[in-house]
Amino acid sequence: MNDATVGYFLIGIAILFVLGLVFALSSRQGRLQQARATPPPGVHLPSGSFLPVLLAVGAALLGAGFAFRPAGMIANLFLAIPGLLVVVGSIFAWVRAANREWREIERAGHDGPGGH
Amino acid sequence: MTTAELQGAELPAPGRGRREAGMPTPLVGMLLFIASEVMFFGGLFAAYFNSRAAHAGAWHPPEGGELDLPLAAVLTAILVSSSFTMQFGVAAIRRGDQRGLRLWVGLTLILGVLFLLGQLYDYSRLGFGIGDGIFGTTFYTLTGFHGAHVFGGAVGMTVILSRALQGQFSAGNHVAVEAVSIYWHFVDVVWIALFTTIYILR
Repeated sequence: MNDATVGYFLIGIAILFVLGLVFALSSRQGRLQQARATPPPGVHLPSGSFLPVLLAVGAALLGAGFAFRPAGMIANLFLAIPGLLVVVGSIFAWVRAANREWREIERAGHDGPGGH
Repeated sequence: MTTAELQGAELPAPGRGRREAGMPTPLVGMLLFIASEVMFFGGLFAAYFNSRAAHAGAWHPPEGGELDLPLAAVLTAILVSSSFTMQFGVAAIRRGDQRGLRLWVGLTLILGVLFLLGQLYDYSRLGFGIGDGIFGTTFYTLTGFHGAHVFGGAVGMTVILSRALQGQFSAGNHVAVEAVSIYWHFVDVVWIALFTTIYILR
């Protein structure tokens, strides 16, 4: 088995692992939502956030890391690694912020239609 | 209708009927997303045809490599079949048949994963890489991005299956199933175009 075959085999394993992880997480999320099957009533708009901009900057860094790579390397690691860290960190922070907002609405309610 | 009649006409209560009228917002969002994806793949196809026209007469896999048409045909059959199974799942939940939904969505997910693993197996046997000439670059870019979209669809399908197993869908509440099915059909159509372009029109 050559290096390429091993690499594709590992990608296949990674695909199955990610799908299993998604299944486990969405099952857990589904159980948590059994108690709150519907969103809080009224209209809720998310608060302003810099995280989408940060995510875009991270994605641009990551893309630049693959575009401007030194010869013989898969990516420019000085660009790609910080970009990847910023992307993953932004996604985690965004999910946490959304969950926090949901909990605050459930706890305190909101201003009704048009409120946020 | 006169102005006086209009003034006397009963206006609908604010907010009433907004959910019932027209297409559900998630479906509109999915259609807009697919419109952007059409532009994305349109650009990739344009790059493919432009490169092919610029290298007329030398448009073939690099030395030592060959496309595996029979395997690609099998993968095409798998993906096309998965569109049918997905639609059977949608039809099942429209009838309120949750067991049918779980069965067909599970089968669709298996077919999607089989397609992905088959594509990786194909890559491992091709004999050329993404850096081996303009053919290798365009081939891997097009099929790789399509594979990434199939993976995205498989993630969506996994979430649908997980929610279906918990009985979260019903005949009146299954917009997510419809949205994922539209995406899956789109991915299928793109593959048919890719297969025809890369493997048939050589």
